[in-house]
Amino acid sequence: MTFRKIFTQHIAEADCHTLEFYQRNGGYKQAREALNGQDPDDLIEQVKAANLRGRGGAGFPTGVKWSFVPKSTDKPKYLVVNADESEPGTFKDRVIMEKNPHLLLEGILICCKAVAIETAYIYIRGEFVFATRRLQQAIDEAYQAGIFGNDSLGSGLKIDVTLHRGAGAYICGEETGMLTSLEGDRGQPKLKPPFPAIEGAFGCPTVVNNVETLANLPYILEIGAEAYRAIGPEKCPGPKLFCISGHVENPGTFELPMGIPLRTLIDDHAGGVWKGRKLKAVIPGGSSAHVLTADECGVAMDIESLAAAGTMLGSAGIIVMDETTCMVDALVNIMRFYHHESCGQCTPCREGTGWLEKIVHRIAHGEGRMEDLDLVLEVCDRMVGKTICALADAAAFPAQSIVTKFQDDFVAAIQNGGSPAWKRRHPSAVGGAASHG
Amino acid sequence: MANNPTNDSAVSMTKWQLNGQEVENHAGMTIMEAAKEHGIEIPCFCYHPGLSIAGNCRICMVESNRSHKPVISCSERIAEGLEIETDSEVAVDARNSVMEFQLINHPLDCPVCDKSGECVLQDHSYAHGPDRSRFVEDKNIRHTKELGPDISIWGNRCIVCTRCVRFCDEISGTSELCIVERGDRSVVDVFPEIPIDNQLAGNTVDICPVGALISHDFKYEARVWNMDRIDSVCGGCSRGCNIEVETLDGFVKRLIPRENLDVNDWWMCDEGRYGWRHLYADDRITQATRDGAEQTDSAATDALEELLSESGPVAFLIDPFLTCEELHLVQGLAASRPGSKVGGWLPADGTAASFPSGFQISAAKYPNRSGAEQVFGDQVFGDDAKQLQKSLLSNGFDTVIAFCGGHQSTGPGDSWTQALANTATRIVFSVMNGPWLEGASLVLPATAPIEKEGTWINEDGRLQRTRSCWNPGTDPFAVELVRLQALQHALGLRGRSLSAAGVFRELAAANTAFSGHNHSDLGSPGLLLSERPAAVASDGGTE
Repeated sequence: MTFRKIFTQHIAEADCHTLEFYQRNGGYKQAREALNGQDPDDLIEQVKAANLRGRGGAGFPTGVKWSFVPKSTDKPKYLVVNADESEPGTFKDRVIMEKNPHLLLEGILICCKAVAIETAYIYIRGEFVFATRRLQQAIDEAYQAGIFGNDSLGSGLKIDVTLHRGAGAYICGEETGMLTSLEGDRGQPKLKPPFPAIEGAFGCPTVVNNVETLANLPYILEIGAEAYRAIGPEKCPGPKLFCISGHVENPGTFELPMGIPLRTLIDDHAGGVWKGRKLKAVIPGGSSAHVLTADECGVAMDIESLAAAGTMLGSAGIIVMDETTCMVDALVNIMRFYHHESCGQCTPCREGTGWLEKIVHRIAHGEGRMEDLDLVLEVCDRMVGKTICALADAAAFPAQSIVTKFQDDFVAAIQNGGSPAWKRRHPSAVGGAASHG
Repeated sequence: MANNPTNDSAVSMTKWQLNGQEVENHAGMTIMEAAKEHGIEIPCFCYHPGLSIAGNCRICMVESNRSHKPVISCSERIAEGLEIETDSEVAVDARNSVMEFQLINHPLDCPVCDKSGECVLQDHSYAHGPDRSRFVEDKNIRHTKELGPDISIWGNRCIVCTRCVRFCDEISGTSELCIVERGDRSVVDVFPEIPIDNQLAGNTVDICPVGALISHDFKYEARVWNMDRIDSVCGGCSRGCNIEVETLDGFVKRLIPRENLDVNDWWMCDEGRYGWRHLYADDRITQATRDGAEQTDSAATDALEELLSESGPVAFLIDPFLTCEELHLVQGLAASRPGSKVGGWLPADGTAASFPSGFQISAAKYPNRSGAEQVFGDQVFGDDAKQLQKSLLSNGFDTVIAFCGGHQSTGPGDSWTQALANTATRIVFSVMNGPWLEGASLVLPATAPIEKEGTWINEDGRLQRTRSCWNPGTDPFAVELVRLQALQHALGLRGRSLSAAGVFRELAAANTAFSGHNHSDLGSPGLLLSERPAAVASDGGTE
């Protein structure tokens, strides 16, 4: 079977985001069938059989997640769509929401039917102004066409969807942080258990799914679980959006089957490393992932293969760095981000992210000490696995792998009075930097 | 009686392992609570038994056989087969990690910090912290500002445990406090133009584990290790909140609440907390005077005896600040003078308040109305008082002994002041100076609530012991308990003087309402008057 694009097939066409265009190309057919007559348990079983893994970063099997929601409860149930795409290097959900918003809406309908949900919220990243406009337009169209509302798609089911804008915090992309923010509180992750499936938004059972995950659903129903599972590796199948940025000739979002080799993705689809330079390092799954060296880039882009390579698929935000990149500066950049974005709730993350940035920053500015390299790794060890959410881990992973795999860059910065870029900007300070301790 | 597991066979037990030992606890307990029952104290910052679980400080992490990561013992619950290690390498490293992180940006200003000596961070730092810092960077600076009329935040010291924020959300229900900023810039703040000014605000300073929230009232007043502490009861209203009175060189410096789940949980109101300044006010009566002339303590007692030995029936005007023991002594005097009458005055009601957590402030701004009613009957502030006032106004008595406790500037009020003025021989025990003392034959200094030794009965009928904040032997004047017994002795009514506990024994023997109770069984938390101590409850008196 040849690979068929489902998210980006029509994105070059001018009116691809409209309801008219979507329906002309077979849109809402799967949702209509699902809502009118399909058994909810069958839907969950199909998604389980398709082995659909969450596309938000953790890769949890979607059907299994749905089955955790209690069947009989006197509380309302919610679907909260995680559209707070804020992992550095990631811009896949944005493409769906801007170019193919009805695909997401159709996925929402199918999920709502499967889990017997009446209310869905889409928590969209505040900075996505255009995507917000497009998605709201699509929601309005869908309501007018009777796709949502009290008699959704003529099924007699009441399904509503509300678009909710975030206010610019990375932590609100963490599922429980997103839920607290949606509830109107300061966006901070909650203690688990209870898990959202039992006690999520407003204390009610809640499914939290990523945009891309839900956008897979119509296709699974269309071609069946078996055919879907045949796309890419069995344990982690399906079409996948890969975002490539950094030092490549042709950066962008690429839709390809799961499991494509990283090197192929960079060379054949993104036009290779730019300016004819050599590859130095790749972050394969958003800045929270362990970095890969050029030699490690033969790895296949799926959850299992990347885990075996000691990193993760994450959000599939691939950041390519060429041979001229100073990894000290790259790490300063990443650490500044996590320091800025730590919600401040748990001690190890609140204090650790700031500490890491200060150390790495000092190394880049020519005031590093050799013992700082061990210190960075020890601080990382003290952060990992000790907090409510995974932000501390997300900050520690790139620090651990970059310092370990590119130690030479750090040693050079310590011995030569700073990173090359810093020295270029501060020629007079070279060699004259005060040293600590 | 939520904490009393007696005869509750319905509670199932859970077997689990703590540091390799098989142990048993009530099902559903958290690891931290359960471990405490076995004598293992797991450190905490953000956990407070009166607040919701935040799980943010992470110091209480322990090793679990159910998780590849250390778990927080404040929120994880015990379960069959759970194995917890509190002192394994993993647990110790987790704890030490948190201590290192807590300390990197924390200022080393313990020498000038009011919390020093009772600081949770300081204590844990000694136990679990590193002895030197690996942090060579600049420390973060956060704001220092007033959050309200009584409280300031020293932001640099804040460890963002959110206890104070949760207190305002959950206990006072006023939600003035919040955390602003993110990451290591996070700090406690108020919303613009909305200061923290609720009636329970002072508790936030108590529960702050570090010196981030500072009470203006106590700032730079004393080093906490130099102060003496005594378990006492607040006399500010009829709730009878359990408190600790802290003194330096005999002077009160601070009142803080003391845990009593049957009365005040862990809290007290600001009115009670800051309501002690009148003890040292200029118009405090500390010296006895006879017809305006100052008297020594013994001369004053002699004068009291002299005035009373010549008298016929005596009018006694009591107040609701007197302890049960003092009231018992008054009753003895009244009984010895046939034709005597007893009535009581009550201060005007204040404002009652109740809070989402169940904490209450009573409108009755005095501690022992119930005790007086138990001793003198339930009309002592009602018909008895009316009759007494009437007969005083119609010159029915030659001699009156009046007790004017409390610090209200109105004293017993205009009508009582007038009634007292009608009596030829007027003996007044008073805390404060005021018009009710004008023309009095004998003015005797009286103790304010936290200076008393004895018992009060709060509005729930709970008999509680209050203790004097004065250091033993340093009483600035003869207290009522002593003076009234000296008088009884001089009048031939008593052999020897007793302590408050001894007087209480007499009361318990004389008055069936008190029988079975004694000071030592009351202990610090007190007992309902209807609830006899177990040893004496041969009639099955525990309901």
